[in-house]
Amino acid sequence: MTSLIIVSVLAVAVLYLGLFKYKTALLPVSVTGLLAAAAMAAMDWDLEKMYFSEMMLFDNYAVAFSILLILTTLLIFGLSRNYFEKISNNVAEYYALMLFALAGGVVMVSFHNLAMLFIGIEILSISLYVLAGIRRKDPASNEASLKYFLMGAFATGFLLFGTALIYGATGSFNLAAIASSGAFESALFRAGVLLMMVGLSFKVSVAPFHTWTPDVYEGSPGLIAMFMATVVKTAGFAAFLRLFLMAFAEASAFWAITVAILCILTLFAGNITAVFQDRFKRLLAWSSVSHAGYLLLAILAVGFSASSAVLVYTIAYSLASVAAFGIMILVSRARGNDHLDSFNGLARTNPFLAFTLTLAVCSLAGIPLTAGFFGKFYVFKVALAQGYTWLVVLAVINAMIGIYYYFKVIIAMYMKENANAVAIQLNPGFRLVLSIVVFLIFLFGIFPGLIANIL
Amino acid sequence: MLTQSLFYFLSFLAIFSALAVIIAKNPVHSVLYLILTFFAITGHYILLNAQFLAIVNMIVYAGAIMVLFLFVLMLLNLNAETEPQKPAYIKIAGVVSGGLLLLVLVGALKTVDVSGAGGTTATDMGLVENLGMVLFNEFLLPFELASVLLLTAMVGAVLIGRREA
Repeated sequence: MTSLIIVSVLAVAVLYLGLFKYKTALLPVSVTGLLAAAAMAAMDWDLEKMYFSEMMLFDNYAVAFSILLILTTLLIFGLSRNYFEKISNNVAEYYALMLFALAGGVVMVSFHNLAMLFIGIEILSISLYVLAGIRRKDPASNEASLKYFLMGAFATGFLLFGTALIYGATGSFNLAAIASSGAFESALFRAGVLLMMVGLSFKVSVAPFHTWTPDVYEGSPGLIAMFMATVVKTAGFAAFLRLFLMAFAEASAFWAITVAILCILTLFAGNITAVFQDRFKRLLAWSSVSHAGYLLLAILAVGFSASSAVLVYTIAYSLASVAAFGIMILVSRARGNDHLDSFNGLARTNPFLAFTLTLAVCSLAGIPLTAGFFGKFYVFKVALAQGYTWLVVLAVINAMIGIYYYFKVIIAMYMKENANAVAIQLNPGFRLVLSIVVFLIFLFGIFPGLIANIL
Repeated sequence: MLTQSLFYFLSFLAIFSALAVIIAKNPVHSVLYLILTFFAITGHYILLNAQFLAIVNMIVYAGAIMVLFLFVLMLLNLNAETEPQKPAYIKIAGVVSGGLLLLVLVGALKTVDVSGAGGTTATDMGLVENLGMVLFNEFLLPFELASVLLLTAMVGAVLIGRREA
């Protein structure tokens, strides 16, 4: 709770810094505030505190995901020096909107009431509708913003309708009260669950509700796309799992088959379309769709091992995405576009960048010795424990398709030459963040026990 | 008896005007029908003793938002030539998926046991006083967080709308 207050107040403080033109103070203040918020979140560990007539529950699940969200935002802020300045003068507002989005994310991982879930999702979404469109002169950015807004508003309608039906069936917004209401047989409740599932699937880009993802990722500025792929996806899945774990777990026999079908659709739609992409950002967007499919596997296996699997997966995915999107930003800035050919010869001009990107895509593909391997491993493990062998087989096939398109960029960097490529200059922020990410991907890839037993 | 006939009249009005919104060729007519829909729903709220909600619905939706709609429509200068044409298969897919959703919802609503529902029948239930009690006790935190939401939206609107220096 304290961390939520700190993040919200920090956003307002950053707005004031912008008002009084303390541009140099923006980043230090944000970073200090985020560190304080992460520390305060960690203080809530094992306390299991309820706040404001059971509106929020800061259990270990909420604390772990809050810290993950805050630290990922920190990494993204580390890359943001001199980034927003190139877009326009309103730098403070961009930081403030990202912090507001983070506050929404923290609400989404700690809600204990459907009203809070709705408000959290809306705070997060509204900030992102604006952030997607901050390149005001760029038609692609405008299109991304408008498309995201229209689709998101439509999805919110489904979410709200579902919430209303569940209230009608159970008489409460409280997750514990819904879980103990015993209304799981009523058709009203089931329709509500399905509609909420549709609304949440939109937000985390699960097929067939994923169609906005590639255009929005491609049109948004790289750093914002990175924020969407990491913080937004983590918060969305944490909220998805929390809702189904704490409120709908007993009705799992009814919704499991729907989630299984969504999972298959998402895996195939994401992976097969990604094969045909020749722009790296679009490839990452489709791969983010496919990762939503793997994460759905864990939701099928409701239980506490599922939360732990989702946590490991989102940590691995966030780390790898920060590195992949970060290097995509550098390359497209230096070479004019993010076409896969732009990565040719990167290994010769920038060995460190090539190595980091290799590690990141290996982690995304799930190659052993990287964090991503254990992300997939734990997700598959909980799905197998629930008896979804056929689904895991399909997921492994998809993981293999994934290796094919992830390796295209590695081949471009190491095997292909680019005669007139010049070395890309790194600023200290990039160097620091990428080094941290490389270290953590290796650390969690070799000692997964560090994060696997948190929850 | 009067309440019942009023209910049926309002329901007919709401469904008829909602259909007219999507059937009407002229977008301005659509918006006018939408205003009618909102008025019918406001009538339903009054029948349900939700007086505050009825007033807010009237002021915010029928008043503010619809005026905004009309403004935008008139600025856009829509006509038959600029209307995008969708291919037939998309229309069929839309009808099928919308029809399926309707089927599920009708199926769900048909089984609802209305005898046990109803809750309170107190006539002052929807007054501002009672709403305020709930809002500032049980729902205090969502109420406060809504201010963060509105602030975010406001910052965003200014950011998008402001002229670049």
